[in-house]
Amino acid sequence: MGKYKAMIGLEMHCQISTTNTKVFSNAKNAYNEIPNTNIKPLDMAFPGTLPTVNKEAVKKSLMASLILNCKQPEYLYFERKNYYYPDLPKGYQITQQTSPAPIGVGGSITFEVNGEEKKVRIDNIHLEEDAASTDHYSSYSTIDYNRAGVPLLELVTYPDLHSAEEAVAFLETMRSIYRYTGISEADSKKGQIRCDVNVSIIDENLDETKEENWGTKIEIKNVNSFGAVKDTILYEIDRQIRKKEDGTYDKMKQETRRWDEESETTIFMRSKVDEIDYKYFVEPNIPKIKLSKDWIESIRKEIPALAKERKEKYQNEYHLSVVDANILVKEKEISDYFDETIKEGTNPKTASNWITSTILGYLNKNDIEIKELFLTPKMLTKLIKKVEDKTISSKQGKEVLYKSLEEKEDPITIIEKLGLKQIGNEEEILVFVKEVLEEHLDMIEKYKNGRTNVIDFFVGQIMKKTKGKANPAMTMNLIKQEIEKR
Amino acid sequence: MATFTKEMVENYADKLLIGLTEEENKMVLEEFEVIDREIDIVSKIEGIENIKPMTHPIDDFVCELREDEVEQAVTIEELLQNCDDVKEREVRVPKVVEE
Amino acid sequence: MSYVDKSIEEIHSALKEGKITSRELIEESLQKSKEIQKKCNAFVTIIEDAKEKEVTDHLLSGIPFGIKDNYSTKGILSTGSSNTLKDYVPFFTATSIENLEKVGAIAVNKTVLDEFGMGATGTTGHTGIVKNPWDKTRMCAGSSAGSAAAVAAGVYPYATGSDTGDSIRKPAAYCGIVGYKPTYGLISRYGLFPFASSLDHCGALTRSVKDAAIVVDAMKGIDPKDMTSYDSKDMHLKEALTGNVKGKKLCYIKEICDKKMYPNANKELKEHLENFEKVLENAKKIGMEVEEVSIDKELLKASASAYVVISCAEATSNMSNLTGIVFGPRAQGKSYIEMMKNYRTEGFSPLIKRRFIIGSYVLQKENIDRYFKNAQKVRRMLVDAWKDLFKKYDAVILPVGSGPAKLLDGSLDILDENTVILEEHLQIGNFGGFPSITIPDGFVDSLPVGLNITGNCYDDENVLNIAYALENTMEYKNQIAKEVNNG
Repeated sequence: MGKYKAMIGLEMHCQISTTNTKVFSNAKNAYNEIPNTNIKPLDMAFPGTLPTVNKEAVKKSLMASLILNCKQPEYLYFERKNYYYPDLPKGYQITQQTSPAPIGVGGSITFEVNGEEKKVRIDNIHLEEDAASTDHYSSYSTIDYNRAGVPLLELVTYPDLHSAEEAVAFLETMRSIYRYTGISEADSKKGQIRCDVNVSIIDENLDETKEENWGTKIEIKNVNSFGAVKDTILYEIDRQIRKKEDGTYDKMKQETRRWDEESETTIFMRSKVDEIDYKYFVEPNIPKIKLSKDWIESIRKEIPALAKERKEKYQNEYHLSVVDANILVKEKEISDYFDETIKEGTNPKTASNWITSTILGYLNKNDIEIKELFLTPKMLTKLIKKVEDKTISSKQGKEVLYKSLEEKEDPITIIEKLGLKQIGNEEEILVFVKEVLEEHLDMIEKYKNGRTNVIDFFVGQIMKKTKGKANPAMTMNLIKQEIEKR
Repeated sequence: MATFTKEMVENYADKLLIGLTEEENKMVLEEFEVIDREIDIVSKIEGIENIKPMTHPIDDFVCELREDEVEQAVTIEELLQNCDDVKEREVRVPKVVEE
Repeated sequence: MSYVDKSIEEIHSALKEGKITSRELIEESLQKSKEIQKKCNAFVTIIEDAKEKEVTDHLLSGIPFGIKDNYSTKGILSTGSSNTLKDYVPFFTATSIENLEKVGAIAVNKTVLDEFGMGATGTTGHTGIVKNPWDKTRMCAGSSAGSAAAVAAGVYPYATGSDTGDSIRKPAAYCGIVGYKPTYGLISRYGLFPFASSLDHCGALTRSVKDAAIVVDAMKGIDPKDMTSYDSKDMHLKEALTGNVKGKKLCYIKEICDKKMYPNANKELKEHLENFEKVLENAKKIGMEVEEVSIDKELLKASASAYVVISCAEATSNMSNLTGIVFGPRAQGKSYIEMMKNYRTEGFSPLIKRRFIIGSYVLQKENIDRYFKNAQKVRRMLVDAWKDLFKKYDAVILPVGSGPAKLLDGSLDILDENTVILEEHLQIGNFGGFPSITIPDGFVDSLPVGLNITGNCYDDENVLNIAYALENTMEYKNQIAKEVNNG
């Protein structure tokens, strides 16, 4: 970029996918099903219907608001955003403007880019409803109202981000938070995350904290994947720099554009003067909602340990490497699996090794998620014990693990089935001990002369004869006893 | 005092997706002027600047939130019984061109 | 012998004593509906196949009633008196109607209103003008015009209404009956086609205060489908009607009803106000104190414009769902915008279209502070002024309108600047969600006139009891319209 720096702000919309019902009706909150199955009268705006606010959606929004260090209002209000579009059955969206009181105002959050900590300020976070979905055919479109009324959380940042990389890192952090808290699956493939991106550039030497130095803000709407966010920002910065370079930047007016996947460019939608006036006003059908301090505090207590906190614990308490810690916290389910395995009694380092290499490798290779995994942390712990007490070798351990996953069978059962079960019967082992001692009388002498490490030789010989099945500890004791007798 | 023009009224009507006849347009203009005059008086009421706008009839009414429990959905037959253009289970409209 | 023109208790007794059956009542009511339809054009739909119901101990069981056509009724055409919904048959019933049907009430017709309640004349419904049963050259006022006409004509003892500015209480006065709009939220609005949600109230039109109490007792109740509704299970309106009002305090507002305020008053207005003064004397005779109070005239004058601004703004938004996409007759159009526009242009009456434009204008970013927010501030000032009165008085008593029903010719929603406060003060009851009831208080030129009693929120029992006591001092209880002009 050289002479310029970019100032980027994001509006991130994320569906709250984990409530049972929609935000303003008690229809099921699900839409990837048969069209028009999850509909209550409000969702298609039949005359006389009224919104009722979902407590769980408010609770989840409050949790997000707390995590983003926002201020929560004493009373919650909703507002109408009025515009006509076929996917908006009521002719308005129930949302929250910054006045009188969205669910969160004026927060901030830190996130990491290449090991460096960055901070972005949050203007506000608010709860609103999604629109219906439309399908387009050659001569007509069809409307499915299942998505209408699905709860959406929209957060608006200040233009504190400076690169596509930072923007994506921030979005990844938010996605991680939404997943860790169970607010949302936050899956952009399912259309659960949508972003609007604001980009402007400013001369490198100017102070960006002074608003008068800011460049012309360009808003790019409906950027629907993190990859597209990155491409959009890169393209838009480049486009704006070119305008600076060819002297047309100053003529550029504030405008709204959209990202076009096909041409990989941003395309002009409308200028500031043609901006839609949404005629916001307070939703009269929803009286003010008291957010008690007690309720907010109880929600605060329910916030689970997030990725950042867990990562610090893994590094500082468990002494894992940054790389491993990062891998383990990337998904909450993996981190939970790891924590559970430790709780079962496995040493953290060992658990980390097994999970980051063997298990995640298997998941990636087979493209499945950890929650689909047959092997529970308890099973894994038992398997690791078998390796640790040398019942089986670590190579065998891995084989057992894969077999367990493939055949959906308890690893301990597999060990037994494969005959990997050790011989733990003294009499049985004694037969081998006696045999080996008879074969190597010279070695007994050496032992008696103080070469106690000879015992390992005997153990090795017995393992050979038993194909590794003899219990090593028992074997060792029996050898000692037998030599003493001679 | 604001000034109102025919074009302005037309523009508003257009945004509301309604068409007005010449006569209706004229009536709106007249009504605008009346309302504007009255609001002018309103805005001069003593102390009005310190009043908080009233958005609900019972200001101190606080409501309970709804529990997150799914209720039986409406059947597709009922949903579409008043719709004049249906394609299978969906509502059909002239092609919606992305903005 | 006819029964449907009697009081609810009388009809109930007749049913219990076997003097008449529910079936016969329905037939009688349907027959009268048809007569009144010819005379007054009061109905959108007459429910010919209305089914009788078992007579229980509930006073409303087995008795016919009418429903204003802006209430959603399952399987029955519900138009809001608008061409936009001229074919709309809902699949669900409004909560308050369900409540009535649960206790055995039987709907026999759907009544005409001003399109979506947005009118004060009863002349803008898509099925035509509603005429006053006392005098067919006069209006019923609106918007609950058909309900008022039918109840006054004795089609049944009651009909539901809705009231955003005065839509129950004004037609009640013009038709010589009782119109009651309870505290906001007492009756669920679920299933009521909205006009202006922060002002809309459900309510009832009856021929006596007691009937109003019985009907609203049955309609009311908290509804999980309406967040603005509240639990009123401890409120028993009928039981509150003791008639004992000793020591109750009423006030009237000088700026609204003092004759001196209208030096150029016509004969009708004079008689109307003098009649009102007589009722105040009655009030004192039965032990109430009546005092004159004064409210800033400029503030009172601002009420009407604040009402226009707020109601139009909310209406514009509330009726944005009327696009013809999911319901309503689909319009033609090459694009969806053209299609929606054609539907709205063809479907809405000119009056509504004009109001939408006003409503949209006052919400625009550059106008909202001057118009909408200022109107909401006036709303608060007026509500605060009334709340102040309620600290000292049980209720405010005022005459309704500036006289009897107006002539249908040349009287379409034009406000006379002098009487504007007198005509429009009932809106304040909507601004504050106050319980408010109109009862007939006499005749001017052989046409009925009414007065209004408005009290503080949740004080419905007290307000109704005062109305009940006053009603007993006069002779207009249960009166049926007698045609005074055959023109």
